Amino acid sequence: MKAQVARIMDSSITPPLPESMPQPAASIVGISKRFGKTSVLENISFDVAEGEALVLLGASGSGKTTILRIIAGLEQPYTGKIMLHGKEVTELPPRERGIGVIFQSYALFPKMTVEKNIGYGLRIRRRRRKEIKNTVNELLSLVQLEEHRKKYPSQLSGGQQQRVAIARTLAYKPEVLLFDEPFGALDAQTRVHLRREIRALLRKVNVPAIFITHDQEEALELGDRIAVINVGHIEQIGTPREVYNNPASEYVATFLGAANILEGTISRGHVVVGNAQMPARLLGDRFKEGQAVKLIFRPEDVLISKTQEFPTGHACLSSGVVEEISFVGAYERLRIRLEASSGACETSDTPFYLTTETPERSNAKPVICTRPKPETNAFRLRTGDRVFLGLSSFTVLPNDARTSATSQPIIKTSI
Amino acid sequence: MRHVRGFDVVRPLSIWMLIFMMMPLVFLPLASIFIFGTSSGLGNFWAALNAPEAIFALKLSMVTSFWATAFNVLFGLFAAYVLSRYNFLGRNALIVTISLPTAIPTAVAGFALLLLWGPYGTLGRLLRPQGIQIMFTASAIVLANIFVTFPLAFGVIKPVFDTMSRSLEEASATIGATRWQTFWHVTLPSLRGAIVSGALLTFARAVGEFGSTILVSGNLAGRTQTAPLYIFAKFNEGQIEAANAIAIVLALFSFLIFSVLFFARDWLDVD
Repeated sequence: MKAQVARIMDSSITPPLPESMPQPAASIVGISKRFGKTSVLENISFDVAEGEALVLLGASGSGKTTILRIIAGLEQPYTGKIMLHGKEVTELPPRERGIGVIFQSYALFPKMTVEKNIGYGLRIRRRRRKEIKNTVNELLSLVQLEEHRKKYPSQLSGGQQQRVAIARTLAYKPEVLLFDEPFGALDAQTRVHLRREIRALLRKVNVPAIFITHDQEEALELGDRIAVINVGHIEQIGTPREVYNNPASEYVATFLGAANILEGTISRGHVVVGNAQMPARLLGDRFKEGQAVKLIFRPEDVLISKTQEFPTGHACLSSGVVEEISFVGAYERLRIRLEASSGACETSDTPFYLTTETPERSNAKPVICTRPKPETNAFRLRTGDRVFLGLSSFTVLPNDARTSATSQPIIKTSI
Repeated sequence: MRHVRGFDVVRPLSIWMLIFMMMPLVFLPLASIFIFGTSSGLGNFWAALNAPEAIFALKLSMVTSFWATAFNVLFGLFAAYVLSRYNFLGRNALIVTISLPTAIPTAVAGFALLLLWGPYGTLGRLLRPQGIQIMFTASAIVLANIFVTFPLAFGVIKPVFDTMSRSLEEASATIGATRWQTFWHVTLPSLRGAIVSGALLTFARAVGEFGSTILVSGNLAGRTQTAPLYIFAKFNEGQIEAANAIAIVLALFSFLIFSVLFFARDWLDVD
């Protein structure tokens, strides 16, 4: 059993890069963008290190594609600047930036064969024929399309076209690769397969890359770091682990994976949710006594027990009644309604209640938790069973205006 | 659909009706050109074709149509690029204006050109002292051809431009191409089919132009007489055979062009 202590995170953004990093491959500094009077990006800043893969994750309309187009030079920012390897390129046209863009539609030239497509960047740079031929051959074998060299894009599958598009940009050795929803047009299986391939390929060629996606699974798998974008600003940047385990905002928590959110207050080093108390090592004066907070935890961080006793590293949250059990393949998903007055973890005079914005019942609400197979087999549960819930890990965020303004429904289950 | 024992009656009926309706309207007039043109023997037909004035008229038609086509394809390409890539005030007005010449009677077009470039025309009178005369020369025929076929190539090329994905050009730009390289290597190849069909349409239309040409050319045999004017002139002189010989050539020529257009369209768009 993993013994993770509850952590407290404030909602500020984690610093982009450790200080030990040398000059970043790309720096985006204070970019903002307006279309007419509508502001679509506000003060976007981040760095991409040499060889790093950064994923910009956001819902459609969050502005992530605009960020990519600004880096590529296809759009002009309203403020801010773009640096590539220390050189400012904000005013340069796309062709002088040395970036490679892999478009969502691949944008392969339909009247050119695979090899002509790949060699295009070198042909327009007037390289020698022999050099072009060698590079094209190298890249064809890198993306494993040797036997398709004479084909036209329309004769290739989506995944093959994607690989041609990548080879075409690698040919002229771009400083940064930009992927715009690279797997959007592919079926689920190819998508998973291809993103692993691309990940491996990027490691091989060691070119820094920025990916755009709305797919959280893709983001977690592709990114060395993830920047979660919400309505034109960055909510959080960090490694997949950081962003997933320590979401800096309710938006991040719910957009990246599923999260249960309960409202509570701070009291003597504890988060008080109803009459349950979760011990939290409050860092300094991050939270004031009595401050309204949100307790956020992942479905998989819930441990279900018949008794109030939990192994070390777990804190008992409350008791509850199993409302629904669904089998989701790799694991079991349970909906458990927390009990209102009786059976909380510790006896207390305060009546158990949970404040919710959209209460299903005024004093009780369901949480979602998941259990892996071994646990399911060892400890069978049926609807109506009464259980205790323990948490191995949770996040506490201030319950301020901003988080509630952007908040999702209390329980968001994207599983 | 009414079926008689599994047999659809409407189908053969409607097909035959269509052919029947087209008989007097299209098939018979075309057929009569060939029937009468060759009725007095292929020898006479050949002789009529070989008359110096006839050869000159055919050549003049081809040359003037060629230049008009060349101009209108280039212009159409440019206009389509500008009007499909940029949005500006008056854009729609420009599109309508470009398309207008097809709706104007050709005689009016010829007349308008005379008013502008004629010896006493608005601009023509300024050119006359320099010894430049445009009307009643081959240039006038080219001008008239340009005017009446103005929107044809544009009309074929612009829709292709409109549907062409911008990301192709953006991809080319990020790869490092200049605008010109992008146009030459990426945009133009995708327009190949549209350019060829636009050119064929324009050429076919220009070769057959009569109304405006007769006004601006002066219809001087052996000097400014195009093939359609030759047919008209010979017919008026009662030389039906001479007229007929050229008519056959023009009819075959159009037939050829439209066959190419019809059958080659797919081929032109395929890689």
